[in-house]
Amino acid sequence: MRNPANVKTAARLPAIGNWRRGVRSHMKAHVFAHTLADRVSNLTSTLPDLMRRSASGDKSAFAGLYQATSAKLFGVALRICGRREVAEEVLQEAFVAIWGRAKDYDPVRGSVMTWLVTIVRHCAIDQLRHQQSRPEGHSAPEEVLSSFVASGRTDISAELRSLQRCLDELDPQPRQAVLLAYLYGLTRDEIAARLKVPVGTVKSSLWRSLERLQRCLGT
Amino acid sequence: MRYDRPELGERLAADYVLGLMPIRARRRFERAMAGNATLAAWVAAWSDRLTPLDTMTADETPPPQVWRAIERRVGPALSEPMPARGRGGALAFWRGIATAAIAACAALVLYIAIYPEPLPKIVAVLADTTGLPGWVAFAGRSGKVGVSAIGTVGKDAGHSFQLWGIGGGAPKPLGLLPADPDRPLWVRAAMLPAAGAALAVSLEPPGGSPTGQPTGPVIFQGKVLKAPP
Repeated sequence: MRNPANVKTAARLPAIGNWRRGVRSHMKAHVFAHTLADRVSNLTSTLPDLMRRSASGDKSAFAGLYQATSAKLFGVALRICGRREVAEEVLQEAFVAIWGRAKDYDPVRGSVMTWLVTIVRHCAIDQLRHQQSRPEGHSAPEEVLSSFVASGRTDISAELRSLQRCLDELDPQPRQAVLLAYLYGLTRDEIAARLKVPVGTVKSSLWRSLERLQRCLGT
Repeated sequence: MRYDRPELGERLAADYVLGLMPIRARRRFERAMAGNATLAAWVAAWSDRLTPLDTMTADETPPPQVWRAIERRVGPALSEPMPARGRGGALAFWRGIATAAIAACAALVLYIAIYPEPLPKIVAVLADTTGLPGWVAFAGRSGKVGVSAIGTVGKDAGHSFQLWGIGGGAPKPLGLLPADPDRPLWVRAAMLPAAGAALAVSLEPPGGSPTGQPTGPVIFQGKVLKAPP
């Protein structure tokens, strides 16, 4: 990247900046032609395709991947972090990690979106655990779920409908525990505090409920 | 831990997907998953079961500076996903707060083969009078140096550990050190004394020295080995 001839020791950073800006304006016409072509090709690409090209170091495909998924992923980060500034950091860290790990994505083991969501959720959860204060104003997860499913929206997936049906069969406390953990990244201790039950109760009931959930979903 | 016991493995896979694992347990689990197709399949199955919940979450367009920051770190792409101008002050502010999560995210692995991460550049090792190291200072990103306990220092509710830069002149307070190895203290590299000078940890009242100078005994110290980044 650096062109030593242009880097003066006394003003290293500005020199690099000028050099890069110079190169950029020089390449402008060239870049513009590429940009159009890339945008058209990214628009028609599928996520697995963008992922595969990102893994081979194609930055325009990576930009396409960001363009296609960042709104969903930012929503997920915001849901967990509660604050836009923090969610922005999380999204940034997650995409840097995604770029570094793109070649590890294995389509056999799940969809691109599930892979990306898992990365963002874990980044957000790490961030949350390092924060001193917890985000406030998390809505009651069951209300979110039932109002969403009852909203009459036509784009609700069959998977979400059957998940909700199976969640409805659980006892209220473990159902809330599952939702608080998945949607908001709460720890067992935090779940216990929020539900006002001993943490041992959360531990023991959670797994039984997950087993029921699994049987109900039949997957 | 024996991840190959089916019930335990499946439980842990569910814990992993729910996000219930502490960070260290999660790292261990991810390393195990990299070489264990059964574990990975359980994780994939639990992800598929629960990820429909993510479809309820409303999309939110991130501000353009997020992509700019990503691009700065991975190198420029020929095309940009959206026009972007400027950079939020809040973002810079939060960068410090989120730094602890950076290491966690960078090390994040899913369905993956583990790649050994490069060792951080050690800036100083702070040892007690017997030579037992208690803290290590290492070069982080963005011109920061992390100072982290290495697990030999016990928590002491009655005292704070305070970090000092001992160059020429009076000791310079650099911050309070958490005893938790997972939570380094991040110091701007420019605040550190030059190579050859020393870093020291003193035992202070909770909240730090009331005078701005060390009031308790210096229990750990070490030379700055190299100029911080």
